[in-house]
Amino acid sequence: MEPQKNDPKNLWDWFNPKGRNVGGWAFILNRIAALGLVFYLYLHLFVLGKLAQGPQVFDQFIATAKSPLYILGELLVIAAALYHGLNGVRVLLTSFNIGVPQQKQMFYTALLLSVLGTLVFAVRMFTVH
Amino acid sequence: MSKPHVIVIGAGFTGTAIAHDLALRDFDVTVVERGPIASGTSGRTHGLLHSGGRYAVKDQESAIECIEENIILRKIVPEVIEPNGGLFVALTESDLAYKETFIQGCEACGIPVDEITPQEALRLEPNLNPKVLAALIVPDGTFDPLRLALSFAASAKKNGATYHLFTEVVDMLLDGQGNVTGVKVWDRANNTRYEIHSDMVVNATGAWVGQITQMAHAHVPITPTPGIMVAYDQRLVNRAINRLNRPSDGDIVLPQRRLAVVGTTSFSIEEVDYVPIDRSQVDLMLERGAELIPAIRQAKERGVYMAVRPLIGASGPGRSISRTFKAYDHKELDNVEGLVTITGGKATTCRAMAEKTVDIVCQKLGLNIPCTTAAAPLTSYREFYSR
Amino acid sequence: MWKITYRVHRQKGNEPPHYETFQVEVDPEEYVLDGVEKIWASEDRSLTFRHACHHSTCGACGMRVNGVEKLTCITKIKDVVQDGGTLTVEPLRNFPVVSDLVVDLGPLYRKMAAVQAPAVHALSMTPWEGQNIAPPADIPMRSADEEYIRLPDCIECGICISACPVAATDPEYFGPAPLAAIQIQGLDKPELLALADSQEGVWRCHSAFECSAVCPSNVDPGRRIMDLRRQVSAKRLKLA
Ligand SMILES: Cc1cc2nc3c(=O)[nH]c(=O)nc-3n(C[C@H](O)[C@H](O)[C@H](O)COP(=O)(O)OP(=O)(O)OC[C@H]3O[C@@H](n4cnc5c(N)ncnc54)[C@H](O)[C@@H]3O)c2cc1C
Ligand code: HEM
Ligand code: SF4
Ligand code: FES
Repeated sequence: MEPQKNDPKNLWDWFNPKGRNVGGWAFILNRIAALGLVFYLYLHLFVLGKLAQGPQVFDQFIATAKSPLYILGELLVIAAALYHGLNGVRVLLTSFNIGVPQQKQMFYTALLLSVLGTLVFAVRMFTVH
Repeated sequence: MSKPHVIVIGAGFTGTAIAHDLALRDFDVTVVERGPIASGTSGRTHGLLHSGGRYAVKDQESAIECIEENIILRKIVPEVIEPNGGLFVALTESDLAYKETFIQGCEACGIPVDEITPQEALRLEPNLNPKVLAALIVPDGTFDPLRLALSFAASAKKNGATYHLFTEVVDMLLDGQGNVTGVKVWDRANNTRYEIHSDMVVNATGAWVGQITQMAHAHVPITPTPGIMVAYDQRLVNRAINRLNRPSDGDIVLPQRRLAVVGTTSFSIEEVDYVPIDRSQVDLMLERGAELIPAIRQAKERGVYMAVRPLIGASGPGRSISRTFKAYDHKELDNVEGLVTITGGKATTCRAMAEKTVDIVCQKLGLNIPCTTAAAPLTSYREFYSR
Repeated sequence: MWKITYRVHRQKGNEPPHYETFQVEVDPEEYVLDGVEKIWASEDRSLTFRHACHHSTCGACGMRVNGVEKLTCITKIKDVVQDGGTLTVEPLRNFPVVSDLVVDLGPLYRKMAAVQAPAVHALSMTPWEGQNIAPPADIPMRSADEEYIRLPDCIECGICISACPVAATDPEYFGPAPLAAIQIQGLDKPELLALADSQEGVWRCHSAFECSAVCPSNVDPGRRIMDLRRQVSAKRLKLA
């Protein structure tokens, strides 16, 4: 069907993985990561807001934030930021027609570096406490 | 008085060119085509804008039609044509022996022909077989089949013609005397059936003309004669390369965008709607094509297709039948009024076929309107979809 | 001969779409389009589909085969299904469906006309190599003032638009083929610069490169859009 502007169905089509190739996956992942980061930004502001409620409230929160579940969440943020940033560099370069024929390899590199980076953080966060 | 209404059945080269001619002569035109534009034989042609050289020895009537129409099409529809010329090349002594006959034939038909040295031929077409013994240049060209038909269709549409695509003629409307007064159609896109009335019906269904005439209890002598074509994934030549000899299997290689296409064969069949591909003919095309352009062996197959020539006459199949065209008035043939059939011919001569057909339509309706298509540039093929 | 099943998208008039299956005997060397034509010829005369050249030069036969955009006349059956298997054919995405496998490519043709995409051009205007295939060499004509004319690579099949995630949500986006057609011409004409540098032009692209992955004709539209971005930026910086 021909798409219509502002059709709610479009929301799904943005993420629809059917019949997509490497570049399409890179774009979908980039968008998911970006949305995750925006969500995190709000969460972050909300948490910072607790500072205004006094030191006890904040310390209490910091205590719960040390639980593995929270660390896992933070790792997701790190993964998203790494991937989105590295892929962002890929998108910027290709936008100047630099490396377009190598865009797949660049995507795999960005993905690999994000996974490695996230692993490094994971090791440190779970051991250094 | 309202304009006379003519139904054209079939939207191949012939039908679309007729629609254009009719519309220019101010008829009310309705085109009925059971598929999309050029989905019959026309879409599946080789794409050679004939100079006439191929027919200059054995079939001079066709050859003269070709060169005249070649010149006209280059003028009226340049945006679908690669006007790069063509070579006839001799590879064997027997080819060489044919050279003089060929040149004489071309000269008799008014086809400009110019001999160049084998070295020059190889400079112009580096992929040519280095064993080339002689080479002649003629004004061949190549065209995009769909876009040629679309250009005629778009021009007709601009002048008011209406199209019923995916709409099949399933029967004729006949009056008490058995004369044709319109058609019964099945709209396959919407699965509906209805009737269209007209002052005249033109049957331009190519290899399928017999099915239509049968519906009107009329007949027309044609022999459906398919041929194969094989496309390869490299543009190995920039102009049409013909074997300098009598027409035979696989003796033309020509460029289409990034492809090279080799054709063709000639045999006879019963069933016209789906012609299965015979792999031995594919191998033959490779073998014969590689004689002209050896690098074809390094290229990859990219499409194989069959098309069915609507050759006129009921005699045996193949290359002996003339490639000229014929328009039949079924009043004369079968005493059925209101139906004209056109068939035979070539893509290259479709405009002339239309002129002849519409002349007959005019004459039958007692009108005297001259044909102007030879000097009227066509509109862009894109306008068929965009307007 | 193989026995395979075609699962075909059907839709007539305003009826809701559904899928219908057909068992067909095919030669695995045949192309997907041949099988569709065979179904029409011997199984169901109401099946509608677009086709003309059967060798990838007209752009009529684009469909989705197992969910992925393909030019069906050059997609061998053996490359998309196995003996006894099932093959799904659907119309292209992002275009209005006319019937069954037929879409209306009008929006694409309008855009190609708007960007003045050349219908034929000089041989020397094929600027770079696509995947796997070298551009035709620019061989001299007989006299110096003549030039070879050729039909362009882009066959206006709409496959790139069907695969484009941006076109999936924005019908006004010019899309890969029209933007590639601007890139081939360069930005000397002010109206082309204005089109490229508009909201629905090069800046609407999200670099998914789906167009280049599916383009059957080596146009590499994704790369051309990126090059157009570079050209637009350079032009604007110079003007500033
Ligand atoms: C192998 C081969 C190679 C060729 N190469 C060349 C070449 O290089 N150069 C050249 O100049 N010529 C070439 N030709 C010749 C040329 O292709 C044909 O002469 C030309 O295409 C015939 O066009 P047409 O419009 O008469 O028939 P078609 O294109 O077949 O048109 C007939 C139309 O009628 C429609 N139709 C049928 N029945 C019905 C119905 N009941 N209701 C509604 N519509 C119906 C069909 O769908 C079809 O679209 C070649 C032919 C063949 C076979
Ligand atoms: C290293 C830092 C970053 C770089 C290099 C970067 C780069 C990019 C690029 C190039 C795009 C365009 C992608 C496209 O065309 O599809 C983009 C989109 C986006 N970015 Fe970032 N970004 C960065 C950080 C962030 C952060 C921290 C956030 C959120 C807080 C963010 C949110 C977004 C959003 C919401 C989009 C739109 C996504 C879409 O349209 O799919 N970015 N970014
Ligand atoms: S750019 Fe490629 S995919 Fe897009 S219309 Fe042209 S040929 Fe088809
Ligand atoms: S039928 Fe022409 S491109 Fe496939």
